[in-house]
Amino acid sequence: MAANINWRTINIDALDPESAYNFDLTTLTPAVQPVSSSEVQTLSGQVRQLLRGGNAEGALRGALENAPYGADEQGKAMHLSVVTEVLGQIRQAEMTPLLQRMYQAEGGSELCDTLMKYLYKGMGQGTPTSNSTPKNLTPQATGFSQVGGRHFGGGEGGGQAMSVFLSWHEKLVEMVGPGSIVRVMSDRRTV
Amino acid sequence: MAAPEVHHLFHAPIADHSFSADRATLAVARDTTVELYHRTPSGSGPGPTFRLQDELRGHDKTITGVDIAPRSGRIVTSSQDRNAYVWEPSASGEWKPTLVLLRINRAATCVRWSPSEAKFAVGSGARTIAVCYFEADNDWWVSKHIKKPLRSTVTSVAWHPNSVLLAAGSTDGHARVFSSFIKGTDERPEASAWGERLPFNTVCGEYLNPTAGWVHDVAFSPSGAALAFCAHDSSVTIVYPSGPEQPPQAVISVSTQLLPFTSILWSSETELVCAGYDCGVYRFAGSADGWQLSGTLEKDERGSASRPGLEQREESALNMFRSMDLKGRAGGGGSSGGVDDTKLKTVHQNSISTLRAYETDGEGRVARISTGGVDGRVVVWKL
Repeated sequence: MAANINWRTINIDALDPESAYNFDLTTLTPAVQPVSSSEVQTLSGQVRQLLRGGNAEGALRGALENAPYGADEQGKAMHLSVVTEVLGQIRQAEMTPLLQRMYQAEGGSELCDTLMKYLYKGMGQGTPTSNSTPKNLTPQATGFSQVGGRHFGGGEGGGQAMSVFLSWHEKLVEMVGPGSIVRVMSDRRTV
Repeated sequence: MAAPEVHHLFHAPIADHSFSADRATLAVARDTTVELYHRTPSGSGPGPTFRLQDELRGHDKTITGVDIAPRSGRIVTSSQDRNAYVWEPSASGEWKPTLVLLRINRAATCVRWSPSEAKFAVGSGARTIAVCYFEADNDWWVSKHIKKPLRSTVTSVAWHPNSVLLAAGSTDGHARVFSSFIKGTDERPEASAWGERLPFNTVCGEYLNPTAGWVHDVAFSPSGAALAFCAHDSSVTIVYPSGPEQPPQAVISVSTQLLPFTSILWSSETELVCAGYDCGVYRFAGSADGWQLSGTLEKDERGSASRPGLEQREESALNMFRSMDLKGRAGGGGSSGGVDDTKLKTVHQNSISTLRAYETDGEGRVARISTGGVDGRVVVWKL
């Protein structure tokens, strides 16, 4: 029977009690409230209502303040599409004053960091207009997603959303500096 | 403010540096050797210069930490070859290394003498801190391990003034405070807000910042009553403990717009100095009520030629030809009005790896600090 075992494929980490493999890494990360998909859906509804009512700033603020860190992939994708929608509705000229108001308010730098996370997530998605998760994303154990191959040619919609993200990114970095980008990479609460 | 004193030692990264107590000797970790520089009164330049005097050879992988004990003058080094050596001067003026039994199976990442100089702590990639002390019976340095609850590489260690409490920053995002009490070496410490009874490996505190980015450096305040750490999310977090086994009185996290800091130092109870990937040195001021970024040590004037230490151009011929090739003009002088944009506006031309107290004034405030960077410079700054 020993002859049948392929020694090369044995996961030796699983046999070592000291190994990180046998340790639940989530105990090291900040506690996040689990959020169900239906809650995300309700929130999306509220944000869209604000947006329809012409209060884009309130909609953005609400979406960022209640970012569902504890949701599953589907819930997170749903929230991303809402944030993308709100961002697309705000005109270029309004971006900077809006960001300034947001940044200077109480807890504003936190909100800006969250917005930066959504910008990067959105840009990483390739075609953010479609609600389904693209298939070329391979979720990594680290919580980050790696893009297998970008498809910028994903139709007019994709390119347009990308230009929205890029102009937001430019305005946001002007305000919050590279520190915020580093926080997107190091934060364990992913969006 | 006086201009910083810049010593450009070589063109290689400086992982760690340490001055002797009289500030005449400078130990610099360069690749697999430690170079000892001696201060000579004045060369051609305006200030004192440092001349290479000796080399400590023995490690066969990159050296990650070097520390000179201020009173005994002993030098301890740690390296990626999983070893640490204690170097002592012999009668003939040569440095004699003693191997320390670290018993770790990954690289040693940092090393610091305790203020009592009877012990030192070595952080490692093996999720272990080796607390080393001298065993007179066997005539060598042995170590005791702090293992739990470390879950990842230890990036930095820092001592409390009582030489028993030890702070460690780790890539699992936590800054922790341990007891490193060793019977026979240490005196029983006084009870403090960190704990009352402190047997070895007691965890006195475990702190996390909101994003849980990995911790680059930790430091106790001069009195030992507060702990500060800087993490890879560009933040600085200050913890004020309230009492043993109790939640801290205040945990203040300051997120900055800058790139992350790799080194942190308390210049007084109410001021911190930080440096890192942003290549500059920044000051923070505050108390248990709140902290904020209060300024930088860099000069504000941009692109002016008055900054000392930068006049001598590195590889100027190479720069000139590169500039002619890329921009079609001779470096520096050219159509754009003589502004050389290939240089950073900071004194260090690459990220800063360590920040050290250089001189303290009568009241225990740090008056001057030194920084060592990836650009091979050691700079002495006046606060």
